[in-house]
Amino acid sequence: MSTLTAAPLVDTEASAVRVRDVSKSFRTRRRSHRAALEGVDLDIAPGEFLCLLGPSGCGKSTLLNILAGFDFPDSGEVLVGGHRVTGPGPDRGVLFQTPRLFPWLTTWQNVLYGPRARGLLTPALRDEAAGLLETVGLSDARDAYPHELSGGMRHRAAFARVLINHPGVLLMDEPFGALDAITRANLQRFLLSLWQERRTTIVFVTHDVEEATLLGDRVAVLSGSPGRTKSILDVGLPRPRTYDDTETLEFVTAKRRIREVLEAAP
Amino acid sequence: MSDVLVPPRPLTDAAPRAARRFTGRVLIGAAGLLLVLVVWEVAALVINDTVTLPTVQETVSETIAKLSEPYPAQGHTLWVNALISTGRILSGFLLGTLAGLLLGGAMASVRVVRELVDPILQVTRPLPPIAFIPLLIVWFGIGETAKIALIFSGVLPIVTIATLAALDAVPAELVHASRSLGASPLHTLVHVRLRSALPAVITGLRIAMGGAWTSIIAAEMIAATGGVGFVILQAGNYLQTPLIFSGIAFIAVLGFLFDGLLRLLLRAVDPTSR
Repeated sequence: MSTLTAAPLVDTEASAVRVRDVSKSFRTRRRSHRAALEGVDLDIAPGEFLCLLGPSGCGKSTLLNILAGFDFPDSGEVLVGGHRVTGPGPDRGVLFQTPRLFPWLTTWQNVLYGPRARGLLTPALRDEAAGLLETVGLSDARDAYPHELSGGMRHRAAFARVLINHPGVLLMDEPFGALDAITRANLQRFLLSLWQERRTTIVFVTHDVEEATLLGDRVAVLSGSPGRTKSILDVGLPRPRTYDDTETLEFVTAKRRIREVLEAAP
Repeated sequence: MSDVLVPPRPLTDAAPRAARRFTGRVLIGAAGLLLVLVVWEVAALVINDTVTLPTVQETVSETIAKLSEPYPAQGHTLWVNALISTGRILSGFLLGTLAGLLLGGAMASVRVVRELVDPILQVTRPLPPIAFIPLLIVWFGIGETAKIALIFSGVLPIVTIATLAALDAVPAELVHASRSLGASPLHTLVHVRLRSALPAVITGLRIAMGGAWTSIIAAEMIAATGGVGFVILQAGNYLQTPLIFSGIAFIAVLGFLFDGLLRLLLRAVDPTSR
């Protein structure tokens, strides 16, 4: 929105997200600086579900923070929807590892936070928010505070809070990493059906090969520090996918192919 | 969704249980206070000397008498003295809170201010308020200003440190979440950063308020002619022990009352504390 320049810089049809030769290093106390990303290139098509896979410390979260506009690259170019990223904005919905709901607001108030903060709250949006709560299965928890919700419910509330803004891109930073296996599987199912329905462009950071194989159209494998794009693989499994697909031979083969790239020497 | 584990609104079942728990807590607390009174009464009867330890009845009747009768003869009633002390405390507390919020906020947002003020706070914090009395008399004389300044000097560092710690503790991701939902930096500052720090700041205010009541005696040692602290000191000079106890009980009740108000405020702003 306001954080983006007015005229599109490249053809919007070609790619929703375009990362060109992005490098980023951090100052640390001991050494003068540590390279987190080095010459990363990435093109993500509109409606694509891309997983960023890599070992911990490979800079995948840094890349996501740069896409979100929380952090800026030292060099290189980042375009989302044809606009250069200059800061955070509602066109890119961000889901963190912990849901980060506002603890002093109810589920309902959390969902309406974005439109309210931008002064765009209309009766139509309230209806949409009610519909969204229904979609994420939280209609009954509308007046509950975050601390009264279970871990999975908090994540689904965070989904609704982001989706009310109609973001063109969803940026997800290991959103299910800290959850128990059952809740995690539930949320993966939920995300699959959500994407199937809405076809939002999604950039999904994970270190879990199975998760990347199940969710992604393509998987971008980053090498360890400094992070570089090692390889971008097509998952090649048919859509719509379900959680049961994880037991098929095709799935296991696809998973092994990705794991081999991940574990191969750089 | 099978991870809907917590019932959405557990009020129907939990409310009576919570109410029972609350009643139980109040009863046990009251029993504790009653136990203190019983021990006091027994000790007073054993010692049998009003100057050393008056009985509960003597203290109560002295309190009731001094509610309407001025003490000393040309002074004020206990009510008026309580009002005088409360006025001093509120003035010092409100000024100290205002300054502490501004200073803590400035320290949290400007690095130079933080590095400049932090050592000063660390060095002056362990000093007892009483140590400042001679200095405050030299600076402000023996009027109200010196007494309010003493309360102020106790409240300021506590509120400053609480504000700084509360603002530092706001998770960066909460601020990021707000910005990426489309809120402006100013909206985020007011509605997320400050709002998120509020409960911890109020907890700091509770500690500062407690400290303010603790130092009221010290403040009213400065040539006072009124106030509960003055009554206690005066009664001590004339060995009127029941009145000392009255004054102490008054301070306890007033301190409890103001802490209760701050606790209500905390409950209002922090759903997790309800």
